[in-house]
Amino acid sequence: MNLDDYRTLFAATTLGLVLIVALPTVSMVVSIPSGAERFSELWVLGPTRIAEGYPFNVRVGEQYRLFVGVGNHLGCSAYYVVYVKFRNQTQPLPDALNAVPSPLPPLYEFQAFVLDSETWEAPLSFTFLNVSRLENSSFVSELSINDVVFSVNCPSKWDLENSGFYYQLFFELWLYDTSLQRFQYHNRFVGIWLNMTS
Amino acid sequence: MSASRQYLIFLVLFAFMAPFFAFTVTTSHSEDVAASAIEKAEGVMVLAYQGVLEAERAGADVSRLLTRLNVASEYLARAHILYRVGGLDDATRFADLCFETAEKVKPEADRLRNTTLVESDMRLRFTMTESVVSVCLISVAGFLSWRVFKRRYHQRVLGMKPELVSDES
Repeated sequence: MNLDDYRTLFAATTLGLVLIVALPTVSMVVSIPSGAERFSELWVLGPTRIAEGYPFNVRVGEQYRLFVGVGNHLGCSAYYVVYVKFRNQTQPLPDALNAVPSPLPPLYEFQAFVLDSETWEAPLSFTFLNVSRLENSSFVSELSINDVVFSVNCPSKWDLENSGFYYQLFFELWLYDTSLQRFQYHNRFVGIWLNMTS
Repeated sequence: MSASRQYLIFLVLFAFMAPFFAFTVTTSHSEDVAASAIEKAEGVMVLAYQGVLEAERAGADVSRLLTRLNVASEYLARAHILYRVGGLDDATRFADLCFETAEKVKPEADRLRNTTLVESDMRLRFTMTESVVSVCLISVAGFLSWRVFKRRYHQRVLGMKPELVSDES
């Protein structure tokens, strides 16, 4: 190696060391945006807090238990509302394609603030209190969710194909939008089908 | 029909209708009170949440504040549910509880944000000073060591004696 080679080696080593010691300051001033995808999760778990044992064949007066959960991956804390809605087979679900919620009124609701990369879960128990049956139709008048009684007045016709009176308990996720200053449907919903047996 | 008889009929009708009107007026009043309490609680919640978001953006640990907001949000959700099913007095009570819990969060979030900003500013100044001093020291040390190296290199090169090689061919 001649003297010029040694000079280059010295300059490169000094520059490398300068960059290393300047790195903490640079990292405090320059923020590199994360390329991670921003999204929220919504789930329903069965009575044992795992994804099985969901109630399906339901009876009047019997209590059923579920867990509803939300996961936040939005990069900051989020303010969520989970609306609990009840429908029969003909009533509308949310429109996932156009991000439009179901027009059905919410019965119960949960509100939660969730830190980024954290999850939130809450139990939900429901009981059918008042159901009448007339030939090939069933009529749910009252439903209790977490000990609050709701008048639902929801009829259902006998489903010949699947042999049952089908209803659905579903959950919509809404997110508080700070720029719009109101809750907006977050285009996430999940539900369970229930067959009213007796 | 005499005037006194008409008056008597009107009085009897009024006596029968009065409880109904009173109930309607009371219900309507309770509904207004509950709606107003819920609206007030929602406003405070939003303000508190915005304060928490600002503190979080400043780099503060907001988990404790969010725990308190979650308590307030449970009250607010309860107020909404009770309002929907007609439990207006309880809805008002829960909305007031929400308001009381959430209104303390906003000033605390502002305080936390300011403290975090001051701390991070101090940390930035300290790190920056540390970096500048280190860069200067490394540059000076690099330059000096290069000079020492160069001098020794020259001495070594100049100290070399040419070797005589006999050409026997």
